[in-house]
Amino acid sequence: MIGYLFVGLFYIAILIFVVGVLVRIFNWARAPVPLNICTPLGQQKSLDWLPRARFDSPYTKWETFVRMLGEVFLFRSLWKNTKYYIETQRQTATKWLWLFAIAFHWSLLIILLRHIRFFTSPIPDWILLLQSLDGILEVGRPELHMVTILVTNLTILLGLFGLLGRRIVGAKERAISLPSDWLALILIIATVGSGIIMRYFWAVDIEGVKRFAIGIVTFNPVLPPLDLFFLTHLTLVSALLIYFPFSKLVHAAGILFSPTRNLPNNPRAVRYINPWNPPYTGISWEEYYEMYKDQLDEIAERGYKVGGGG
Amino acid sequence: MEEEGKIKIEQRFPNWSDLLKPITEKDFKKGIYHYPARKSDWEGAPLPPVYTDFNPLEKDWHLPEGWKETFLSKMDEFRKKYRELFVWMDICVRCGACADKCHYYLGTGDPKNMPVARAELLRSIYRRYFTWQGKIFGKWAGARDLTEDVIKELYYYLHQCSQCRRCSVFCPYGIDTATIVWIGRELLTHIGIGHRFSLISIAACLRSGNHLGLSPMGMAGSLESAAEDIKEITGVDIEVPINKKGVDILFVAPSGDYFATPHWFTLMGYLMFFHELEERYGITYTWSTLAGEGGNFGTFYTYKCAQDMNGKIYKEAKRLGVKWIIGGECGHMWRDKHQFMATMHDIPDNLEEPVNPITGTYFENAKSTKMIHILEFAADLIKHNKIKLDKSRNNHWKVTMHDPCNMARGMGFFEEPRYVVRSVCNYFYEMPEHAIREKTYCCGSGAGNLADEVMDLRMRGGMPRAMAIRYVHRLYGVNYLATICAIDRAAFTALLKYWKLQPPVMHGGIFELVGNALILSDEDKERELDLRGEPLLKEEEVKEAVEEVVTAPTKEYVCELCGAVFTDLDECCEHAEKEHKIAKAACDMVCGEKR
Repeated sequence: MIGYLFVGLFYIAILIFVVGVLVRIFNWARAPVPLNICTPLGQQKSLDWLPRARFDSPYTKWETFVRMLGEVFLFRSLWKNTKYYIETQRQTATKWLWLFAIAFHWSLLIILLRHIRFFTSPIPDWILLLQSLDGILEVGRPELHMVTILVTNLTILLGLFGLLGRRIVGAKERAISLPSDWLALILIIATVGSGIIMRYFWAVDIEGVKRFAIGIVTFNPVLPPLDLFFLTHLTLVSALLIYFPFSKLVHAAGILFSPTRNLPNNPRAVRYINPWNPPYTGISWEEYYEMYKDQLDEIAERGYKVGGGG
Repeated sequence: MEEEGKIKIEQRFPNWSDLLKPITEKDFKKGIYHYPARKSDWEGAPLPPVYTDFNPLEKDWHLPEGWKETFLSKMDEFRKKYRELFVWMDICVRCGACADKCHYYLGTGDPKNMPVARAELLRSIYRRYFTWQGKIFGKWAGARDLTEDVIKELYYYLHQCSQCRRCSVFCPYGIDTATIVWIGRELLTHIGIGHRFSLISIAACLRSGNHLGLSPMGMAGSLESAAEDIKEITGVDIEVPINKKGVDILFVAPSGDYFATPHWFTLMGYLMFFHELEERYGITYTWSTLAGEGGNFGTFYTYKCAQDMNGKIYKEAKRLGVKWIIGGECGHMWRDKHQFMATMHDIPDNLEEPVNPITGTYFENAKSTKMIHILEFAADLIKHNKIKLDKSRNNHWKVTMHDPCNMARGMGFFEEPRYVVRSVCNYFYEMPEHAIREKTYCCGSGAGNLADEVMDLRMRGGMPRAMAIRYVHRLYGVNYLATICAIDRAAFTALLKYWKLQPPVMHGGIFELVGNALILSDEDKERELDLRGEPLLKEEEVKEAVEEVVTAPTKEYVCELCGAVFTDLDECCEHAEKEHKIAKAACDMVCGEKR
């Protein structure tokens, strides 16, 4: 009976996630971007012989696409981070935030891809390859017992606890952290934690989990194994899926809609159109001439010029 | 304000719930809060007819009836009109990457000046009224009610931003506080809250064509005096065309250049440059009194103000029948010309795609707007050796360059000015890398903050920039700060004095340096003075001056942390960086002259 509850919960969570994110995207996409407000972070294209920054100041759509790839997959903006020490006016490059962020996000991506093995039968080769690459780290005594430690399990914890630690230790970060920031981090840590416990410390009925997962994707629901940690993991994942569209976690989709990064730096070359541009209501020459008739006539009398030794 | 050259920065780190509480008139600081708009200026600008007469220091701000509903309905309208606002309200993760990038935060230590906190001012209202989480969980979802106190706080902090976009460089999602503040200021105008300094200039510009309110003859008189000054220094008679039809180029400069100092010398540079082009190549140009303002205070106030102000440039380009447009040295102006102008107006059909008639260079990057920067033009001419220059006339200047925020992060304009400066000066030194190019620091007075009543804010906000200048001054003997922004040229007068750098560090436009170096073809006497009327260095003096800077062998520098002695400040700085992890920008804190 309880099993049905979890099947239902998981389906509902997936539904809310998909619909929620799509609604978000639809609403953003519906709003126009009135001006090309690209932030160029390098030399613009102007004279041919000047070295220009192709991917920091993209001119074409293709260059802009590469810039976005850099943002999404390498976090190039975070890479540029600096720290300013007010007391001494020191200013240095700092990569901690970038390190934690990239460790977390890439590990999460690989872990999610690895999870495909539960939902497919047979498992695609590339997933198996990914799995074995991830598991290159083996510890233990060869003659007794070897444990494969997945690299991403370590890196995701490094990333998550690094991000959490910043918010605890950094005074500025602590001041700007809202309860929702803590909630998101703790939710993800708990989800990852329950997964890791199942992998290394708690024997789960893997066959049962796989049957359940395949049942989900083939719309032939099979009841999940009634295992404490598996059900906890499933609940937390469902909670995350439900929470995702309504929280800051939608930044994953939102970054693609950020006009400072996804527009090319070419507004002088290609006219950018604002759909709601109001009509001009400023001063006209006629009004202006009316106002300063004498003076403008005087300039005309002087032959539209001043100076020249005359 | 405290004693010159010293400010006390009090950092505060309240908890999240205190950070949500509004700062009100009780905590407004003198020198930080701005004066409200005057009624006459309000009425001269394209703003809603709801002027509010308030005193920022009084409890009751006399907000118009139904202000809350108006504010919220406008906010709803704007999020549907500006995708960037909508997306950025939703996706900020408060990672804090932007926090110590804001010069106002660094200078004031006020936590609400962190860019993330500035955006949260609006975001907290957005959450409360436009998301269900905020409606249900209130404060726990980071939401807060829109009260009169919140409006006071918005007014106080939205005007402590110079819209320099430095935070946007470091934000992983490119969230641009400048745009958020721009929209926030417009929201305030819908409930009648206005900003005096911005609106004085906007109203004047809409009336007279320039921010200063100069009449046509006032502007013509200024240009005439500049021509006279040039005559005195070079002996050349210069004719300045105004409102002349049928010429090749319309030239538009910021109005500050018509009479402020040191803008004036830049103006002289423009006039000499165009005079030379006409003498040598027959290229004709004109000034326009109606389009006598390149700058655009609307770009940091409201969309409609910006639009009504930049429209007259195209109108005049059409009326005068020019081929294309060149713009002068100005910061916000170029954010406007590069990103806004052609979107806000139809481009007149008499304009042609800009091609330099002398070199044949096609300015593809401006093929739609038909407006190029005078330094793009000059760089092209210099590259092709089309104007004669004598670098040694700038030998009395050791130059560094300040990238104006809006040229840097609104346009990506870095190499053209550097190429020109290197072509007209022998001595050019860069400031530390975290303070130039796309990471450039604001002068502290942009986006309406040039007002005198916020002097404390300006000096604090300008601190990181001033420290970088002090660094190159001490290291290389830099005595000239070149900047291509009219606001900068006005702002640095106060900033450099406050930080005890001026004299000796003077500042001015790049075209002043061009004017010094430019050899006019009808110039027959040896120049003895630079455009400021200061004597040029003779050849022997140049050598001496150079040697003095390059060698300076008698001085010794000591690292105060370990006592090591160096003959060169640079070495000491490197040592401090390597051994004590003190950034070069701050090396003067530890490396001093040995006594």
